[in-house]
Amino acid sequence: MLRPVSAILGACALLAAGAAAAQDFPARPVQVVVPYAAGGGTDLSARIMADVFQKHLKGPPMVIRNQPGGGGAIGTSAALHARPDGYTLGMGAQGPLALLPHYGGTDYKLDDVQFIALMGRNLQLVVACAKAPFSDFKAFMAYAKANPKGIQVGNSGAGGANHIAMEAFGRVAEVSFENVPFGGASEAMTACVGGHVHAMVATPAEALPHAKSGAIKPLFIMEEKRIDTFPDTPTAIEGGVKFTWSSWKGVIGPKGMPADVVAKLQEALKATFTDEEFVRRMQDLGEFVDYRDGAAYEELARNDSQTAEAIIRDLGMYQMNK
Amino acid sequence: MDILQHLSAVLSLEVMWFIALGTLGGLVIGALPGLTATMGVALLIPLTFGMAPVAGLNMLIGIYIGGIYGGCISAILLRTPGTPSSAATVLDGYPLAQKGEAGKALGMATIASFVGGLFAAIVLATLAPQLASIALKFGAPEYFALALFGLTIIASLSGDLLKGAIAGLLGVLISTVGADPISGVSRYTFGLPGFAAGLSFTPALIGLFALSEVFVQLEKIVGDKIVTLKVSGRWPNRAEMRESVPALLRGSLIGTVIGIVPGVGSGTASWIAYNEARRASKTPEKFGTGHVPGVAATESANNAVCAAALIPLLALGIPGDVVTAVLMGGLMIQGLAPGPMLFESRPDIIVGIFGGTFLATVFMFIFGMLGIGLFSRILLIPKRLLTMSIVTFCFIGAFSINLNPVDLYTMVAFGVLGYVMQKFGFSQAALCIAMILGPMAEANLRRGLLQTRDNVLEFVSGPITITFLVLTVLSLLWPLLRDLKARRRMAEQPN
Repeated sequence: MLRPVSAILGACALLAAGAAAAQDFPARPVQVVVPYAAGGGTDLSARIMADVFQKHLKGPPMVIRNQPGGGGAIGTSAALHARPDGYTLGMGAQGPLALLPHYGGTDYKLDDVQFIALMGRNLQLVVACAKAPFSDFKAFMAYAKANPKGIQVGNSGAGGANHIAMEAFGRVAEVSFENVPFGGASEAMTACVGGHVHAMVATPAEALPHAKSGAIKPLFIMEEKRIDTFPDTPTAIEGGVKFTWSSWKGVIGPKGMPADVVAKLQEALKATFTDEEFVRRMQDLGEFVDYRDGAAYEELARNDSQTAEAIIRDLGMYQMNK
Repeated sequence: MDILQHLSAVLSLEVMWFIALGTLGGLVIGALPGLTATMGVALLIPLTFGMAPVAGLNMLIGIYIGGIYGGCISAILLRTPGTPSSAATVLDGYPLAQKGEAGKALGMATIASFVGGLFAAIVLATLAPQLASIALKFGAPEYFALALFGLTIIASLSGDLLKGAIAGLLGVLISTVGADPISGVSRYTFGLPGFAAGLSFTPALIGLFALSEVFVQLEKIVGDKIVTLKVSGRWPNRAEMRESVPALLRGSLIGTVIGIVPGVGSGTASWIAYNEARRASKTPEKFGTGHVPGVAATESANNAVCAAALIPLLALGIPGDVVTAVLMGGLMIQGLAPGPMLFESRPDIIVGIFGGTFLATVFMFIFGMLGIGLFSRILLIPKRLLTMSIVTFCFIGAFSINLNPVDLYTMVAFGVLGYVMQKFGFSQAALCIAMILGPMAEANLRRGLLQTRDNVLEFVSGPITITFLVLTVLSLLWPLLRDLKARRRMAEQPN
């Protein structure tokens, strides 16, 4: 008599166990690997995210783990090779995802990535450095046309996001630059403020204090539209060069996570990235929040990866580290 | 009147409490190998989100100042530089502790850190806007010339010139592992992604100095006799104090100037200060054997860098080292963009930071002085237990920086290398200096030549570049000149 009942109960228990993956999620802390050192822009953004995330997904707190090295490849690889249970995620940035695989030497591809949600973008502003022989977009272009490879443009590292951005811009605008790599954005900015290079690519937040003090002059922004921080700075498009570029970061995980866990994470991250407190704190940090869902995030990454591949092949850097 | 008003904000009990807490926390973090001042500041930034700017920022500055000081404790007692900036303190601090004079070494290190910190803080508060422009004068050729000058320290520090040169060249060679600074190509990584960014410096340093010493100690305690060190002498005596004054002043000045130049850092400053103190000393042969002025030079220099690095940060918005870069993040979070505008728009913040820097330096001195007796007792722990704990800390420290297992291999490999070097009389200091300055010299030489289109004459044309290149030549000739002078004096003396 009891048998059918217990069979039904057993079946229920099994069903419940299946659903438990998503229902109980997260049963333990969700870890987010930041592939850069503590204290940088991506790290601080992730920490703000972890803080606000708790409001939208009850449970144990989100934990940030810094795993820097290899331009972000090491931490990204760690996140993509983690057990696909939703408990290990990563900050997915443009450099490690869309650029590094083209140089070779990474043990992951774009196809290994489960895109969860885009957090924001780092807008690219081109500035004229101290003592530069130009101070607006028109003069910059005229000088570049008259002096091929005559403008020295500082960037934050060879083959990094803003190096590729400038190369890509040069191809569209049909001008060429001498790209001067530095060991990081702040080193490049120091050289720029000191007048040791002519121009550089920076984020609006990096450029703002120096633009305000008059040490450097904003030339143009690689966006569709002008931005609030620099309302008087034109876009490249306004100047007749159809070109946009920005770097970005979001939350990624390994392929093969349970669909319901992904859905739950996507929902909570959407709520987090559109949360007023999150947006305000990110703005204070000088970050540009731009939430997009997993599919749109993936499209952005694939587009940039394709553009970058063509440039990297052109530069002769394709698979150079293989 | 305004300044007093702004200062009173710093002197509130709450703010002072945070500064004291930060300094003490920094001291502990700095003393533990592998936990650096940078990590301390970065990890605690989120805590400052909700605080008033002056309280939050000054707590971070306290961690910074306490952290750089704390590094000397383990350097002196255990030959384990707690932070890379204390590596040079090992040279004289550790032999002093081994002689039973741990108190003397720690006492001088604390006084030196205080003097150096105070000196730079005074410069910060009085001359920040005027001096900040030095930071802008350094382009690629200037950095290259400075690095080259720094590398000449190897010649005077390593005793046997040939062995020193070999150690130095090995260090430069090791520093080329990782991404090429100009083209981005991976070099000597053997396809291991873990080496793509180069060998991690702190794990290498921990292996080179601490683990190698463990091996040396192991040999000594094989006989199972328990050696207990004496621990005595809280203060350096008057003669030693007097002898250390020139080293202190030189270290403070060198630390302040190097701190203002962005990206050079306290490691370089303390090596240069050590070398200059030795060069100027009447008894250079005593350096490296447990000589109090040696500790005075390095510790005054590395703590002077702390406050000095705030000069370009606050006045120009240019972070001078990794810690100040992280501090800049802390400022931005508070909605404050550092730079000349900050002096006009928020003088309360500027005065608050100046005040906080002084206070943190004072707290560091108090905690250090109170702690000396306690710290020194570490040496009373039976050697077998102590050695085992050091090994544990070596591993934890090397791993905790990047959570990268490759760093553990690096640490162990450098431990073996350091042991072999010690056995055969190669200078570990030379290797360490070359690993700090090699990359700086290489990247800037190549960047500069790229910018001048391989025009060497243009590259060496700047006044700062020429000055450092001349200093480089003089520094290399100095030992020869000194020998020559000594020989002439000998010849002049009547039989």
